Amino acid sequence: MLPSFELLMPETLPEALEMLAGYAPDAMPLAGGTNLVPDLRGGKRRPGVLVNVHGLDALQYIGRQDRYVVMGAGVSLADVLESELIGAHGRVLQEAARVFANPLIRNRATVGGNLGNASPAADTVPPLLVLDAELKLASAGESRWVGLEDFFVDVCDTICRHVELITAVRWLVPPPRTFSRFRKLTLRKSTAISVVSVAVRVTLGESGRCVDAAVALGAVAPTPIRVHEAEEVLRGEALTPEVIDRATRFACTAASCIGDVRSSAAYRERVTDVLTRRLLAEAQEWSEEQWERS
Amino acid sequence: MPRDQTRTIRLILNGQKRTLRVDPADTLLEALRAASYTSVKYGCGTGDCGACTVLIDGEPTHSCQIRAVEVDGHEVFTVEGLAPFPARRLDDLHPIQSAFAETGAIQCGYCTPAQILTAKALLHRNPDPTRDEIRSALSGVLCRCTGYVKIIQAVERAAALLRDEGVCPFRHAAATLPGDQSLADLLAERNLIAGDWREPRTPLVISPPAMARLVVVGESESKVDGIKLAAGTPAFTDDVRMEGMLYGALLTSPHAHARIRSIDAREAAALEGVHAVLTHEDIPRVKYASGGQSFPQPPPYDQVCLDDKVRHVGDRVAVVAAASPRLARRALRLIEVDYEVLPHVLDAEEARGSDPPVIHDEQDTEGIYDASRNTVHRIEAAEGDRQEQWRRADHIFEREYRTSQQQHAHIEPHACITYWDEDGRLVVRTSTQVPFHIRRMLAPLLGLSEKEIRVIKPRIGGGFGNKQEMILEDLCAHLTIATGRPVRMMYTRHEEFTSSRSRHPTVQRYRVGVTNDMEVVATELDLLGDTGAYGTHGLTVNMVAGQKGLTLYNSPYSAFRCDVVYTNKPTAGAFRGYGAMQTHFGIETLMSEIASEMGWDVVEFKRRNWIKDGELLVMATALGEGREGFEQRIRSNGLAECVRVGLEATQWYEKRRKLNHASAVNATDGCIEPLRRGIGMSLMAHGSGIAGLDMAAATIRMNDDGSFVLLVGAADLGTGSDTILAQIAAEELGVAVDDILVHSSDTDFTPFDKGAYASSTTYVSGNAVRKAAIKAAARIRKHGAAMLGVELRGSRDAGERDGTRQEEVGDVPTTGLEDIELHGGSVRFPDGRRVTLEQIALSSLHQQNQHQIVASASHLSYDSPPPFGAQFVEVAVDTETGQVTVERVLMTVDAGRVINPITASGQVEGGIAQGLGFALCEEMVYDVDGRLLNPRLGPYHVYKADEMPDIDVIFVQTDEPTGPYGAKSVAELPIDGVAPAIADAIHDATGIWLREVPFTPERVWRALRART
Ligand SMILES: Cc1cc2nc3c(=O)[nH]c(=O)nc-3n(C[C@H](O)[C@H](O)[C@H](O)COP(=O)(O)OP(=O)(O)OC[C@H]3O[C@@H](n4cnc5c(N)ncnc54)[C@H](O)[C@@H]3O)c2cc1C
Repeated sequence: MLPSFELLMPETLPEALEMLAGYAPDAMPLAGGTNLVPDLRGGKRRPGVLVNVHGLDALQYIGRQDRYVVMGAGVSLADVLESELIGAHGRVLQEAARVFANPLIRNRATVGGNLGNASPAADTVPPLLVLDAELKLASAGESRWVGLEDFFVDVCDTICRHVELITAVRWLVPPPRTFSRFRKLTLRKSTAISVVSVAVRVTLGESGRCVDAAVALGAVAPTPIRVHEAEEVLRGEALTPEVIDRATRFACTAASCIGDVRSSAAYRERVTDVLTRRLLAEAQEWSEEQWERS
Repeated sequence: MPRDQTRTIRLILNGQKRTLRVDPADTLLEALRAASYTSVKYGCGTGDCGACTVLIDGEPTHSCQIRAVEVDGHEVFTVEGLAPFPARRLDDLHPIQSAFAETGAIQCGYCTPAQILTAKALLHRNPDPTRDEIRSALSGVLCRCTGYVKIIQAVERAAALLRDEGVCPFRHAAATLPGDQSLADLLAERNLIAGDWREPRTPLVISPPAMARLVVVGESESKVDGIKLAAGTPAFTDDVRMEGMLYGALLTSPHAHARIRSIDAREAAALEGVHAVLTHEDIPRVKYASGGQSFPQPPPYDQVCLDDKVRHVGDRVAVVAAASPRLARRALRLIEVDYEVLPHVLDAEEARGSDPPVIHDEQDTEGIYDASRNTVHRIEAAEGDRQEQWRRADHIFEREYRTSQQQHAHIEPHACITYWDEDGRLVVRTSTQVPFHIRRMLAPLLGLSEKEIRVIKPRIGGGFGNKQEMILEDLCAHLTIATGRPVRMMYTRHEEFTSSRSRHPTVQRYRVGVTNDMEVVATELDLLGDTGAYGTHGLTVNMVAGQKGLTLYNSPYSAFRCDVVYTNKPTAGAFRGYGAMQTHFGIETLMSEIASEMGWDVVEFKRRNWIKDGELLVMATALGEGREGFEQRIRSNGLAECVRVGLEATQWYEKRRKLNHASAVNATDGCIEPLRRGIGMSLMAHGSGIAGLDMAAATIRMNDDGSFVLLVGAADLGTGSDTILAQIAAEELGVAVDDILVHSSDTDFTPFDKGAYASSTTYVSGNAVRKAAIKAAARIRKHGAAMLGVELRGSRDAGERDGTRQEEVGDVPTTGLEDIELHGGSVRFPDGRRVTLEQIALSSLHQQNQHQIVASASHLSYDSPPPFGAQFVEVAVDTETGQVTVERVLMTVDAGRVINPITASGQVEGGIAQGLGFALCEEMVYDVDGRLLNPRLGPYHVYKADEMPDIDVIFVQTDEPTGPYGAKSVAELPIDGVAPAIADAIHDATGIWLREVPFTPERVWRALRART
């Protein structure tokens, strides 16, 4: 049973944007509803109007445009998991999709909803952060691309205005010799919200050294974060245990950990350390293999 | 006046074009149920449990998460679309449904339609899925009963059926030991040693050579209710709609402790469509205890239906009846309550400390031990010579263990419908384990006499003890009395967490004395039990904790001291394991700790001390259930064999302390993880019913066609008890199970039964059914003899006298009753002549010496024979993060003779799954104000299909002389040993002992860190 609200069912994206504009600030987009419906039921959110954007064709594609991989915000996590394109150029995101909730939720849950909900533990965010993703925010008659890192403001707060909708996500096809991985720790294996999540991307140069790197963390701060200090440490270096150790320490410092029902701050910090270190060690192994093969 | 917002949607529903009128705010779940597609179930409303799964355009989707208007133009599929109505036999069902029914994948059946649909979508996409693919596909639908073992086997079987591959009948494997084969060969042949999971393994039943084979008892019969549950037929409490029915809703307290200064319900009452608002001012103040237990219930009677004080967040404040659930909830928000907030206490130690907030300061509750210190009960008991035994002890070990508050999380919430029938009697259709207790307890609260109340138990979607409580029935009935209308109430999942019952958290201080030659000479247990806001079950759970926690090793000196205290937390109650599983964690872990510290072989140490055949249970008399108990002697004990088989099947001595040598294991994903592996074991003993108290009765009546109606008060809540009771009757009467029509339970028509709790149904109700069947069989034999003119030896019917067969004396006629066989639906005489049961039925009803062949019997036992078991668990511990993964569980079980290996192993697997949750993740967590932080199935975390370890079950049969055909109980036993076995395995892997459940990654990590 849901509390009363008006549900609007636009048939096209422009129509949806008109509706959002018409009812702002009392309207909210509704995608898969996997966050919003429990929130409505629990009284956490009480919008007067919901604009259903689930299933809008304009939000439902995954493709390549020039040097970008682009996908609509209405793409489900199940679509992400099945996409060969994302497998090839965004493996880190696919890894997050694989451990995201369960198959039923993955069928409904959208990438746009995961971003729009702005939970610190949202699992698509660290992968998209390390891919340097951008979001397209559209309102009736206007649109803009913003960097994902600039998108989040606080827990459940973003720069997305009431009249705006996330319509697309894109990132540059990573250069060859790029390693990207995601890992999360949950209280249990299945369908559990992350205690800590970590995404890492490392691109190797001709020399086998790291020419570019990105590290992002989820669930350790009010919003998912990039750890630029750690990236600085990695850039231009060969991945040695010493370098990994220094980068990992920056990740832990950056994680101004919060304690909650899932775990204490101290434990989160510890897990940040373990997961970051493991991912970088994996990258190191991978880089050695790459070098041997070249 | 809300404007009519309804819209019409068009969809393809189960292959047919349909239009539905829906409210835009309706979820698809609500719209489908309103349109009578009741196979789609409510379980949580938050997308966590998956009971509401339907297929939308072929994809499994939670129907509670989407609005009905969204499926306009789409295809929706529910289980009703799979098989024609009515499905009468297995062949009428879709292969996936029949596979579920045959494999025992259905226990309560509440999640079954969702599991079946999820399987259908999977098999459509992937006709030959791997076991992991099945687990993953099913991971969005929770099951709390089965541990998923048989659900996965059902999907494999269905896949084979759909690929047109032949399948064998799904049954257990049987073996005799000692026999032709050695134990090692037997286990190897069954793939039990290597744990090879390519073949689905069904339970293995090992019998001693002397054990006679029976015809129906001991067979893997499909559940008698399997077909209707697989078909999603409306069978549960909330699956019916009555004319003019109103919907009740409960206003609960936002404060942990407060006095209600005033309630203003005028605005709520004035809302159009609201028919009643009841507060403490409207209902007479009658004291009671909500636990469904035998008369007189254990004190204190510290509850009233609605009070002017609230004692936990989620406590009852007011109830509303309105024309729709939505309206009822709206009315709740309009009730203004002025609370005087009082200081509260959440911690049990503080609650009995100095100057605590007094939770029960009311004058009219009697029987609280010390209300000023929130101490409901103090229990003290000791047996043996204290000084002498402690003097013998060469070593003394003292440890403290803690257990947490666990939720039952049955997928069907509490649900109840009450109405006045045409005779002006109140009918209560309710999801209960204890229909007869509910009727007796309700009467004084409502000001009715018991004969004016009829309680009907339909199908129940799991209970595990939480439905041994009167949670909704009184409020629902008060609303019917106030409005004259049928009223339906059903808890939300959130209310299940905050306003039903849970497991008593405990702090256990054990002190054990041992001699140098491994003898346990003295055991003292000091227990602190936290009963939450009310004392229901507080006395008995904690007494059982003491008795069972001091029984397995039966020390010559045993002592128990216990305080049961109130706190401002949701109330604890009955929960599978009932105190025993808490103290099993303590004593079993401590025994393993002692062995480890002394350098003893843990198996040998336990073997020296475990209770043996013929021994008296030291604490049985001092600690009964809420009163003195009866002397108990062990008459059947398969512990030694359970352990022998388990050691062999796990190759214990090869693995113990050796697994962790490979300290850095290459995990499959290539990441080097410092995993450590270990193996652990635990033993367990439980009981079978409450000795000298639990009574059950049964009636068997013959129909014209020679089939039988079996009326039992026993309350099948998904366990399969209807099936095993039918098997018992069928065995005695010489018919097939489907010739027994079981009805359970209706206080107007079925005889009394205490209800489904205390692991009593097979043992107590089973004996009642057997006695009734023996009597009925004797009457059938006699009538058959009369039909053929056979004169019978002896004048009196042995079966008539006392329900047991006896040797008859007499010498003239040569045929005795016992010479006449009932077999295969007919009566066979020594001279070879036979009469069919149908002929006997027709003759007895219509032709000769007309009478109804019918018999009733009841049973009470002064014994409560313990079933025994051993669990062996293999774990992997990530020593950097503290994550524990259980990789394999093997349980060997002595449940006496196993009446039905499939339903019994289902009990074992489900109990293990709940035990895994208790051990590793389930815990109700509160903020400082007493608000539950995880009142959702997701964050609370119930085990899912893709995280279950491999589970194997081996029954080691014994012959319990007091049980029906030698049977003992099996329901609670398996949950008792999981946590200590895992603790032992974690120690084997890492060298640390965990003494507080659940072993969350963080707790394990902290323990590992504390060591270094
Ligand atoms: C059982 C369960 C398990 C879960 N497990 C995980 C998990 O493992 N990892 C994880 O990260 N999350 C998890 N979640 C949370 C949730 O599923 C995800 O956040 C999901 O991606 C939300 O997407 P949605 O389409 O359902 O969003 P909705 O619930 O429809 O919307 C969420 C929010 O985003 C806004 N929104 C939706 N679309 C847009 C848009 N295009 N532009 C702007 N704002 C928009 C909505 O207004 C709303 O505020 C789980 C949820 C459940 C119920």
